[in-house]
Amino acid sequence: MSALPSQSLLLIADTCLVWGHRLSEWCGHGPQLEEDIALTNTALDVIGQARSLYQLYALRAGNGLTEDKLAYFRGADAFQNVAIAAVENGDYAQTVLRSLILSAWFVPLWRELAIGRDPELAAIAVEAEKAARVQRRHASDWTIRFGDGTAESRRRIEHAISTLAPWVPALLAAEIDGTDRARRENEWRSFIAEVMAEATLDAFPVGSSSDHAFEANAKQALSALLHEMQSLAREHPEAVW
Amino acid sequence: MSDSSSKSLAPTDWPLFEVFIRSKQGLDHKHVGSLHASDAEHAIALARDVYTRRQEGVSIWVVPSKAITASNPALKNENFDPMASKIYRHPTFYDIPEEIGHM
Amino acid sequence: MYTQAIDTDPTSRNSPTSHASVAEDVFLARIAQDEKIEPQDWMPEAYRKTLVRQISQHAHSEVVGMLPEGGWITRAPSLRRKEILLAKVQDEGGHGLYLYSAAETLGVSREQLIDALHSGKAKYSSIFNYETKTWADIGTIGWLVDGAAIMNQVPLCRCSYGPYARAMIRICKEESFHQRQGFDIVRALCEGTPEQKAMAQESLNRWWWPTLMMFGPHDSDSTHTGQASAYGIKRISNDDLRQKFVDVTVAQAEFLGLSIPDPALRWNAERGHYDFGKIDWDEFWRVVNGQGPCNEARMHDRISAFEEGRWVRDAASAHAAKRAARAVARAGALEAA
Repeated sequence: MSALPSQSLLLIADTCLVWGHRLSEWCGHGPQLEEDIALTNTALDVIGQARSLYQLYALRAGNGLTEDKLAYFRGADAFQNVAIAAVENGDYAQTVLRSLILSAWFVPLWRELAIGRDPELAAIAVEAEKAARVQRRHASDWTIRFGDGTAESRRRIEHAISTLAPWVPALLAAEIDGTDRARRENEWRSFIAEVMAEATLDAFPVGSSSDHAFEANAKQALSALLHEMQSLAREHPEAVW
Repeated sequence: MSDSSSKSLAPTDWPLFEVFIRSKQGLDHKHVGSLHASDAEHAIALARDVYTRRQEGVSIWVVPSKAITASNPALKNENFDPMASKIYRHPTFYDIPEEIGHM
Repeated sequence: MYTQAIDTDPTSRNSPTSHASVAEDVFLARIAQDEKIEPQDWMPEAYRKTLVRQISQHAHSEVVGMLPEGGWITRAPSLRRKEILLAKVQDEGGHGLYLYSAAETLGVSREQLIDALHSGKAKYSSIFNYETKTWADIGTIGWLVDGAAIMNQVPLCRCSYGPYARAMIRICKEESFHQRQGFDIVRALCEGTPEQKAMAQESLNRWWWPTLMMFGPHDSDSTHTGQASAYGIKRISNDDLRQKFVDVTVAQAEFLGLSIPDPALRWNAERGHYDFGKIDWDEFWRVVNGQGPCNEARMHDRISAFEEGRWVRDAASAHAAKRAARAVARAGALEAA
């Protein structure tokens, strides 16, 4: 067995949790009841993935570490998530565009991990890849509806693209041990290009590197998110729930 | 299934679809309910999220509710009652000697 | 899943037999024989109205009911609880959807029903106008509020209107996890630190009486019960359901080591039931009529989700129309070629 280094494991797990948290904020506030339920399914999928990965990480670390200690008792500085996962939801266009960006990144990642050398992680990845495909389809369908829908929806998805594009270089640059970063980036670019074309939108503007100002914003958004998520658990550090 | 009158349907209301689910391979699709979606493909995607949260199915059909033609309930008696007298269609109508056993 | 027996529509107070006709006699005879009524069958206008009101009220309750618990999804104190709560609140949305679908079979559109909610014409269960101040409230809602709701709903699985009965069967099947997860939260609190236990007791103190109010006014003050039962829509009276709820809940509270905030609560061996104190009906009507702690916030949340979602729904409709038009054009081009 060749376990994925813990740094990479945390990067994936933290990304899933933080993103799942953002998706869960929509529950009860979606644009249509059916859609509320659909988006919540994607939140449940990624939070479930985060749990499985934290459990694996904790098991390997020993020392009584648990999934909840990892999620609730680390500060923003210790979180390894890709920055875009923590960005605030914005409107529905921005929410689905983030889902598109992340799921198009996750599909090739999970696929590679599913046949990788870490069998425990592979077991998680096999299921996660299926869920990521559903999520990628959901997000592409909506991106296409928005681009090729009404004038307002087009304006909103274009705005979402310019808001989120600056976070993409850091995502594509993220190295995960034992996986092929360049191939993941290529697959991401060609999938996004297809969706943009079908949505009748301009090519997705990926810059060369992420701005430092954006990194700082991301940390701030993450701190606020964690402050809320961890508030109750930290008030009662000894409690079992 | 809806026979909803179209009075004052606002344009934003997505059309209604009836959802049919095959609970497992080898069984018929069965009507489970309805939902609103912008088109048929969207309805399939949403039906997966709404009606199979507990693994209730392996296949989904959707049909626009307005595409369904139903028999007239007022003709229920004349349509279906005459079948009641045709008891010779049922195997239990016939006596089989005990010596023959199962047939 | 949440029903509440409130009835504020005067039309329902007409007795069904007061405008009897042959068709209505036949209809009532079918109900009396426990036959199901289906959407295309003839039905008296009062039956249709009563159903639309009750089913939509019930649907609204599910959807508004997502809000008080939904506010704790982001703060759930463990990942396991977060996952469960998210799935549970999502289920409430699903239940709302099943019920809207059932109501739509009666000739009203979803949008009309939602309009009625947003304009304040339609009611929803007043229990959701109370605040969820602590995490323990999430447990208490599952344990007591869902518990009370299940008691109201199980009889509805046999109600006379087919689409409503079928929706209720699906809902009740899904609902049993809701009450259990709530009890499980409260149980963990009661077996936890002294602060956790105190949190559970404080929550029970706030939710006990509003939960008893969920069963609706006393039978003696409830003018519509007679009609609803003649129509096979309501099967068991408000007071009988409330008594049943008290009887089973006392033992559960004892198991948890919590005390029910009612000094008048005691076993009555003669009746074979618990006696309990007087319900503050003034509070009930205050909250039903809009003066509860969170009425405004709840409606604000629902209306803004709906209004902010309008451009999303419109975009999907516009895109679907474009795709359909393109498919027609393609087919035309093929034919011409």
